[in-house]
Amino acid sequence: MAGIPHQIVLKRDRDLEGRGWQIWVRRGLFLLLPILALLGLLNLFGQHPTTTTKAAGAASLKLYAPPRVRSGLIYQARFHIRAQLELKQATLVLSPGWLESMTLNTVEPSPVNEASDNGRLSLDLGHIPAGSTYLLFMQFQTNPTNVGHRDASVTLKDGDQTLLQIHRTITVFP
Amino acid sequence: MDIVLRAIVLYAFVVFVMRVIGRRELSSMTPFDLVLLIVLGDAIQQGLTQDDYSVTGAILAVATIATLQVFTSYVSYRSKKARTVLEGEPIVLIDHGQIVERNLKRERMTEDEVAEEMRQQQIASLDDVDWAIIEANGAISFIKKN
Repeated sequence: MAGIPHQIVLKRDRDLEGRGWQIWVRRGLFLLLPILALLGLLNLFGQHPTTTTKAAGAASLKLYAPPRVRSGLIYQARFHIRAQLELKQATLVLSPGWLESMTLNTVEPSPVNEASDNGRLSLDLGHIPAGSTYLLFMQFQTNPTNVGHRDASVTLKDGDQTLLQIHRTITVFP
Repeated sequence: MDIVLRAIVLYAFVVFVMRVIGRRELSSMTPFDLVLLIVLGDAIQQGLTQDDYSVTGAILAVATIATLQVFTSYVSYRSKKARTVLEGEPIVLIDHGQIVERNLKRERMTEDEVAEEMRQQQIASLDDVDWAIIEANGAISFIKKN
């Protein structure tokens, strides 16, 4: 019979003395992998859209957009405005977080006018008659270097009058 | 800058995954494992370079990974504790011709798999084996009886 192979210590390598805990550490760490996958399924890392609705006397706004996105991915925001009363000059005002390091691929239908409202993007949607709806689609792509947590609130105005505001943030994962 | 950070994070994650999935998964290379390897490589590449098609980006990514690999290797060389953490230690599977069941179980191995490994090394019978040791890289070393 051959002797014990060089550098093999029976107590350590056969009887695993002092190594019993290692397998539990490994199993515990391994558990992090399915937990990560589960958190992904639960939309923790985006980018399943959620619906946020806010209503005021004159109009309601339903926003369908993901609150969490990942860098490089394309996503859509849908703004559904329902006018209870006539809106002479409906205006959507978007916080800078909507566009900070985001590529804006398209806005449909195109707004009548675009401007800056104290540093925020102001989209003039024009006239919306009472009882009718206005759907605005915006398509974005998150720039790969854009990581963090930003204000992505939306304000609906009629001219200079603020009708309602949706406070939200967008989180960008690397 | 971010491509270097991404390379560091992904390298650390791959080292972590390789250590926690167990050494047996590392040593076997079935056709399915080969497909998985390609899929993994592709998934990592997407996260690593993303939309960066530049030569500079590729050089930065490769340089970072190569540096980390040499650094890991150096740390393993210098420190026994780091070597144990990064690479693991051998485990005896057969001692003087007797299978150590507890250690097989720990490595999620069956006697059939040990027999298969023996055949691949031109060993027909367990009676011919004095020692079998699963090494840190997942390969099994067989030492025959004299």
